[in-house]
Amino acid sequence: MSRASQWIAIVVVAVLALLPFVPGAVDAYYFSFLFFVFLYAVMAQSWNLVAGYGGQISLGSHAFFGLGAYTTAILWSGNYLWGSLYDSHPNIYYFDPVTMLLGGLVAAIAAVVIGLPLLSKLHGDYFALGTLGFGEIVKVIFVNGGDFTGGAFGIVAPASSFGTLRPHYWVGLGLMVATALAIRMLMRSRYGLALIAVRDDEMAASANGIDTLKVKVAAFAGSAFIAGVAGSLYTFYIFHVGPDSVFDLDWMLLPLMMTVVGGTGTILGPILGALVMYAVFDLARIVVPDYHPVISGLTIILAMLFLPKGMMRLSRKARVAGA
Amino acid sequence: MVNLPPPEILLQLSLNGALGGAMYGVAAVGLSLIFGTMRLIFLAQGAMIILAAYFVRALFYGLGIDPFLSLLIVVPVGLVVGWLIYQGLFRKAAAEEDRNVSLLIAVGLMFLVQNLMTVIWGGNTAGVVTSYTASGIELLGVRTSFTRSMGFLIALAGTGLVILFLRKTIVGKAVRAASEDMDAATLMGISPHRVNAIAFAIGISLAGAAGVAVATTFPFNPFAGFIFSLKALVALALGGIGNVTGALAGGILLGLIEAYVQFFISGGWTNAIAYGVFLLVLMFKPEGLFSRPYKKA
Repeated sequence: MSRASQWIAIVVVAVLALLPFVPGAVDAYYFSFLFFVFLYAVMAQSWNLVAGYGGQISLGSHAFFGLGAYTTAILWSGNYLWGSLYDSHPNIYYFDPVTMLLGGLVAAIAAVVIGLPLLSKLHGDYFALGTLGFGEIVKVIFVNGGDFTGGAFGIVAPASSFGTLRPHYWVGLGLMVATALAIRMLMRSRYGLALIAVRDDEMAASANGIDTLKVKVAAFAGSAFIAGVAGSLYTFYIFHVGPDSVFDLDWMLLPLMMTVVGGTGTILGPILGALVMYAVFDLARIVVPDYHPVISGLTIILAMLFLPKGMMRLSRKARVAGA
Repeated sequence: MVNLPPPEILLQLSLNGALGGAMYGVAAVGLSLIFGTMRLIFLAQGAMIILAAYFVRALFYGLGIDPFLSLLIVVPVGLVVGWLIYQGLFRKAAAEEDRNVSLLIAVGLMFLVQNLMTVIWGGNTAGVVTSYTASGIELLGVRTSFTRSMGFLIALAGTGLVILFLRKTIVGKAVRAASEDMDAATLMGISPHRVNAIAFAIGISLAGAAGVAVATTFPFNPFAGFIFSLKALVALALGGIGNVTGALAGGILLGLIEAYVQFFISGGWTNAIAYGVFLLVLMFKPEGLFSRPYKKA
C-alpha cells in the first residue's frame, strides 16, 4: 500500500470513528447499515485468512460464528464470569473484552480439534465438504443441548437498558480495523509467507521445511477466532441466540461471496466486498422488498460472471496495464 | 442394553429407510456427474429438485396431468434446462482456475431459485395429493407406501439409464474420460464444454425425476432443497465421489442409517450422526465405501 493510500485509509477510519458524534447520525438508517458492513467485513476477513491466503476453502465459518455467539450468550445469561460484580454493574457483559475473547477462543479451540484430523487427511474439495458437515453437526449438537444451550429456541441474553447503537458501531469498526491490520502484519511475517507458500504449492513448501499441517491448522484456528469474536459482537446486537439464527448458512455464504467479489487474498478486498454487496442487498430490501432475495441471488451470479477475480484484482490489473 | 425389536419392525425400518434413501441417491447421482467433470459442488441441486416438485404440482393441479406421467415432461425439460444453465452460467467459470467462482454461481442460483419459488408459490408447505397418495402395497410381507415404492423405482430406473449411457455410448465414454482426467481427455479431442454441458443436462433431468418422487411422497416448501443438497453430498461421499452406482448405494445406505438412528436413538440426532458418518468416511475412506481400490481419491 502506498503512502498516499495509507493516509486515505487513516482519514476514512477517523471520519467513521467520529461519525457517531454528528447530531442525528445515530438515529439515521445508515448507522445500523454501517454496523452490519463492519460485522460482515470482519467475517469476510476471517474467511479470507484461511481460504484467500491459505488456499483451504472452508465452508464452516457459520459454525465458528455461532460458537462465539453461543459462548457469549451462555456466559452472560448464566453469569459464569463476573459473579457478584454483575449485580452492581448490570452492563458488565456488554462488549466485555474477556467475554468476547473467550467467544473467539472457544471457536479457535473447536477449529484446532476439528482442523487437525480434517486438514491432515483431506485436501481441496474434500476439506470444504468436511467443514460443511462439521457445521451441520455443531448445529445439531446445540439444538440437542438441553437447558445449557436452550434447545431449538436458543438463549435470550438478559438485556438490560441499553438504548444506543453507538458502542456496537465503535466495537464493530474497531474489530474491522484490528483484523485488517493484524492480517496485514501477519502476512508480512515468516508465518504469512509460509501460509502463502502452502497455498501456492504445498509439496514445495513442505520440501522447504515448512510444517504444512501446523501452518494450515493455525490459519484455520485464526480464522475461527475472528469469526467467534464477530459472533460475540452479534450477540450484543441481537440478544436472542438461536440455532437457526447464528448457525444460519448465510454467515458463511455471504462473507465468502463478499470476499470473492472484493478480491480473495487481498486486505482491502473483503472490506470493499462487504460494503458493496451489503449495499446492494440492503438497497434491494428497501426498493423491492418482496423480491430482494431474488435480486441478491442475481447479484451473486452477475458478479461472478463479470468480476470473477474480484474488484481489487481488477484495479491491480488496471494499474499494471497503465504502468 | 436395547432389546432388539421383532424382525417385522426391523424389516419395516430397512424397507422404509431404503425407499426414502433412494431419493437422496438419485440426487447424488446428478451431483456425482456434475462433480465428476467440473469438480463443482453443485449446491443448487436440492433447489432444482424442489423446483421440479413445484412444476409437477402445477402440472397436476393446473392441467390434471398425473405426477408419474409428468416424468415424460419433466425429464426432457430438465435436460434442456441443465444444458441452458451450463451454457448461460457455468461455461465461462468452468474455464477459470479458481473454483470458488463456480461454487458461488451455484449458491447464487440456489438463492435465486428458492426465492423465485417463494414469490410464485408462496413460502408455505405444499404437496400433491392424488387418489393413490394414501394407498399402500405389500412388499416382502411388509406394508409400505405406494408412492415411496414408485420413488424407489424412479431412482433405480434413472440411475440405470445413466449407467447405460455412460457405459454404452461414445458420449458417455467421453464423460467418463473427462471425469477421470480432464486434461488428458481434452488432448484426446474431447471438448470440455460439451461434456460439462452433458453432465449438467443429465444432472438436472435427474433432479427433475427426483422432483417427481419428492412431490408425490413428501410435503415440501421452497427452502427444503438445501437439506436435500446436503444429504445428497453425504450420499455422494459414502458412495465415493465420481462413482454413479456408489452414489445410489450411498443414498440408500444414508436412508437406512437415518431410519435406524431415528428408531434406536432419537430423531433429533439423525442429522448429526449422518454427518458424523460422512466426516469419518471422508477422512478414512475418501474413495467411498463401494469403490474398488484403483479409483483415485
